[in-house]
Amino acid sequence: METLTLLGNGFSVAFQPLHLGLLLFGCFAGTLIGAMPGLGPVNGVAILIPLTFAFGFDATASLILLSAVYFGCMYGGRISSILLNIPGDEPAVMTTLDGYPMAQQGHAANALAISGVASFIGATVAIIGLTLFAPLLARAAIYFGPADYFALYVMAFATIGGLSGVDPRKTLLSALIGLMIATIGLDPGTGIPRYTGGSFHLYDGIDPIVALVGLFAISELLFLLERAIKDRDTAIRLTTWIPDVRVVVGTLWATLRGSVVGFVAGVLPGAGASLGAVMSYSIEKQVSNKNGTFGKGDPRGVAAPEAGNNAASAGALIPMLSLGVPGSGTTAVMLAMLISLNVQPGPLLFERQPDLVWGLVASLYMANVMLLILNLPLIGLFTRLMAIPTWALMPLVVAISFVGVFSISNSTFDLQVMIAFGVLGYVLRKMDITLVPLVLGLLLGADMENNLRRALSISGGDYGVLISSWISFGLYLATAGFLALSVWLAIRDKRRVAAAAADPID
Amino acid sequence: MSIRLAGAAIFLIAAFYAWTAQNYTASFGDVLGPSVFPVLVGIPAMALALSLVVFPGGTVAWPAGGRILRQVIALAMLIAYALLLKPLGFPLATFGVIAGVAIVLGGPVATSLIIAATGALSLWGLFDRGLGLPLDFLGPVFGG
Repeated sequence: METLTLLGNGFSVAFQPLHLGLLLFGCFAGTLIGAMPGLGPVNGVAILIPLTFAFGFDATASLILLSAVYFGCMYGGRISSILLNIPGDEPAVMTTLDGYPMAQQGHAANALAISGVASFIGATVAIIGLTLFAPLLARAAIYFGPADYFALYVMAFATIGGLSGVDPRKTLLSALIGLMIATIGLDPGTGIPRYTGGSFHLYDGIDPIVALVGLFAISELLFLLERAIKDRDTAIRLTTWIPDVRVVVGTLWATLRGSVVGFVAGVLPGAGASLGAVMSYSIEKQVSNKNGTFGKGDPRGVAAPEAGNNAASAGALIPMLSLGVPGSGTTAVMLAMLISLNVQPGPLLFERQPDLVWGLVASLYMANVMLLILNLPLIGLFTRLMAIPTWALMPLVVAISFVGVFSISNSTFDLQVMIAFGVLGYVLRKMDITLVPLVLGLLLGADMENNLRRALSISGGDYGVLISSWISFGLYLATAGFLALSVWLAIRDKRRVAAAAADPID
Repeated sequence: MSIRLAGAAIFLIAAFYAWTAQNYTASFGDVLGPSVFPVLVGIPAMALALSLVVFPGGTVAWPAGGRILRQVIALAMLIAYALLLKPLGFPLATFGVIAGVAIVLGGPVATSLIIAATGALSLWGLFDRGLGLPLDFLGPVFGG
């Protein structure tokens, strides 16, 4: 009941004219960013953060805008998956498997409608979950002491790579690099400059926002330059925009299954939308693929991953808001913005700033409805805008990134830092080292160190304090189990690749 | 090979990082002080980097020479932008970087120039006029 009252207050926050306007703009811009190949939720949100600072929005308004963009991207990513066979962003990869074949068979309108409705249902299921579970988790997290927080951060870093099968050493190394960068600057405890090389520019440390824009926007440009110059692949033309309602209704169960699976995947640390889509698709395939139609244009193969990635992206907000530990790349970037605005997410956020939390939750319900309305009839407009060539779009993105970063501090030194991080991000991505753990380390490093030092100050230097509570002990145990599982998965995948290479048929 | 080299580089950086941390001492403050956390971070980083040198995982396909050249040209333009933004003033420098990157990406020259001019002027208008964020129209080079 209490939740309903709070949510009611949230809606009154969300209905303020500025917030409504930002919501609408965010939904539109997000769909567009998601639909453009090469731009996804992470870089979209990263580039927009400095702009929200320049516009002088407060934390609530900024968070509403960025969440609308985030959700919009999830809707938009499917458009290019279906019409171009190029995922607009990473979570939309699974949608190409059945979406593009459907479009080739002349069912593009159906595929777009199914994915739009599935996105809506997936996100709605997950936002209801967010409304119910986030306050519970926040209430439990009140009992966390400094040692428990340290354990939670260790777990976040160890698990952020997820069970993706990527070499877990690289993920951990990425997190450690982030932590190393986070210690640059004046030590908050004693005021001693660390790793500044005597440069006053570095006394405040590396601004995470500057680093983020570089890591995601500039490295994307370098990746783009590596690919062949060629004209945009031609999109499949639509003969009609009107979908067959019976086909859409027929995917309802697949959508609901995908929503639940995606939501669970999103809440888990280190999973995020991409894993949500992958898990939803593979589970749906096991349940429904009786006639071998998956991969050849089965509508359920479009519905499940789209419901999954939207549900996961809303689910990923739960650990970010209630624990202050993001579950995915985009939520990590959103955390960076909150920290820059002096809002520390975590259990106390729900007590101290109910307007922000519940305003956001209410906005998400509304964003979802707006997105459904925008996406069904305006699909033609989005496909036309999607045809803007990359060579025209990307330089503007770079210029906007530059002016955004410059506007934070009016310092060209920050621009150089941003370029340096772009090169770093490119090199790391080339080596299959994901950037998300690095971002997380960069963001949470200071807090992690503070909690460690606080815990040991309380205990008088006794390291036993780190595992003295059941909470921290349990977290370390879960971390160890997770790491063991991911090492096992990585070894298994390696064997499988080796076996496939030895197989002469392929 | 690239992974081994990168592992070695990260190992050296982490070793330097952990080594330097020992110099950070304070006679006051908390029990741990400023040096323990960097050591706690640096040592596992050294271990992981070393394991990449010994057992490198995965391979890296670097782009061909021509593509690397394009990347280098683009990077040079970005760095030039950072250095020339103040001397040249915002619109001119931004015009240069948009046009340059568009042309390197394979855009037709004339269209790229038009997009760059429109983009630079609208960004200047939005930020300087609209948002009150001071961006010099002409830099000191022009006596502005």
